[in-house]
Amino acid sequence: MKNETLLSHFGKGLIQNNPVFVQVLGMCPTLAVTTSAVNGLAMGAATTFVLFFSAAIATLVNVIVPSQVRIPVYAVIIATFVTIADLILKAFFPPLSAALGPYVPLIVVNCMILGRIEAFATRNPILPSLADALGMGAGFTGALMVLGAIRELLGAGEIFGAVIFGSAYPPMLIMILPPGAFLVLGILMALFNHLQEKDIPILRKAG
Amino acid sequence: MKKMIIVLTTVAIISGTTLAIAYSAFLPLIQHNQQVALERSLGALFKQGESPEFSEIETDGPTIYRARAEGRVIGYAVRVVTTGYGGEIRLLVGIGPDLEGITGMEVVEHVETPGLGGRIQEDSFKEQFEGLQPQQDISYVKGGDTQAKENSIEAISGATISTDAVVSGINKTLDSALPTLIERAGEGGE
Repeated sequence: MKNETLLSHFGKGLIQNNPVFVQVLGMCPTLAVTTSAVNGLAMGAATTFVLFFSAAIATLVNVIVPSQVRIPVYAVIIATFVTIADLILKAFFPPLSAALGPYVPLIVVNCMILGRIEAFATRNPILPSLADALGMGAGFTGALMVLGAIRELLGAGEIFGAVIFGSAYPPMLIMILPPGAFLVLGILMALFNHLQEKDIPILRKAG
Repeated sequence: MKKMIIVLTTVAIISGTTLAIAYSAFLPLIQHNQQVALERSLGALFKQGESPEFSEIETDGPTIYRARAEGRVIGYAVRVVTTGYGGEIRLLVGIGPDLEGITGMEVVEHVETPGLGGRIQEDSFKEQFEGLQPQQDISYVKGGDTQAKENSIEAISGATISTDAVVSGINKTLDSALPTLIERAGEGGE
């Protein structure tokens, strides 16, 4: 029984409560870095890393933090893990670090992280919090990767750097440019909502 | 009130300590990566000559490396730092030993938009610099005929700002590096 609830805490972030398509959180990285599938994947992974550890620490220190200073305390915790994530990327994945550029430090202000900590992690025990963080992170990563893959495919004719369409396909530059992010995100969100309206069990709205 | 201060201070101290440890742990690797990136770019500048060795020439202006292979100078590499669309672009320009032609251009670091300004690191763009004259300003033309303008390259379509940053950065840096190079061109041979 307990495992089942943990699984449901993890699962709700994937589709029913997807941070990007349903909660519409973390739009800055969603729109900015999804010019390719690998960028989306890396951004999602870095964000998941930060969310997971921040949620863990926030859950643990929650009892001793006075509520007046909880936001600054969480912000410091988040910023710490963001800086660590940035250093790890620079040390072990220099090309990815170069591609994501200033967007890694900007994970600090990704409202999905503070949002999940405020809305879930500090109100629940540690295990459900971690399951929630992983689920939300996975949902975020998945959404960014799908967005990145579509934009990369239409805008450059490639997915994960592998040529799909060949040289006969004239790339739609606009898909790589910022407007492309809005176009693809809007269409995906509409599709998501349309599917949720239909009564498919896995897509049924939470709560 | 007191508790607020204690908690926030403690959290800040722990966080600062953690970061200091993480930074010093990763610093060697990060510096190593930057060095590797620089060396890879330096090596790519000179196509002929077996794995040249590079030594820095001391100047007040831009950083210049002297490239030597088999005991003779095969050229010079000049470091260029310029500001593009997304931030700083760091690149290297290789010049032949007689300072007559550019042997190559390599982008070491940039944060330009992938698929647009990011294309400054593609071979088709970089190769255009080969053979240009370092002694006169380089210019760029949009969507066409580089024959029409002397010493010019073709701009990346949709990324004029990045192209302009690269070209003007190279021009500016070469302007200040050339006097040093001319003065010291004779040195370094054996």
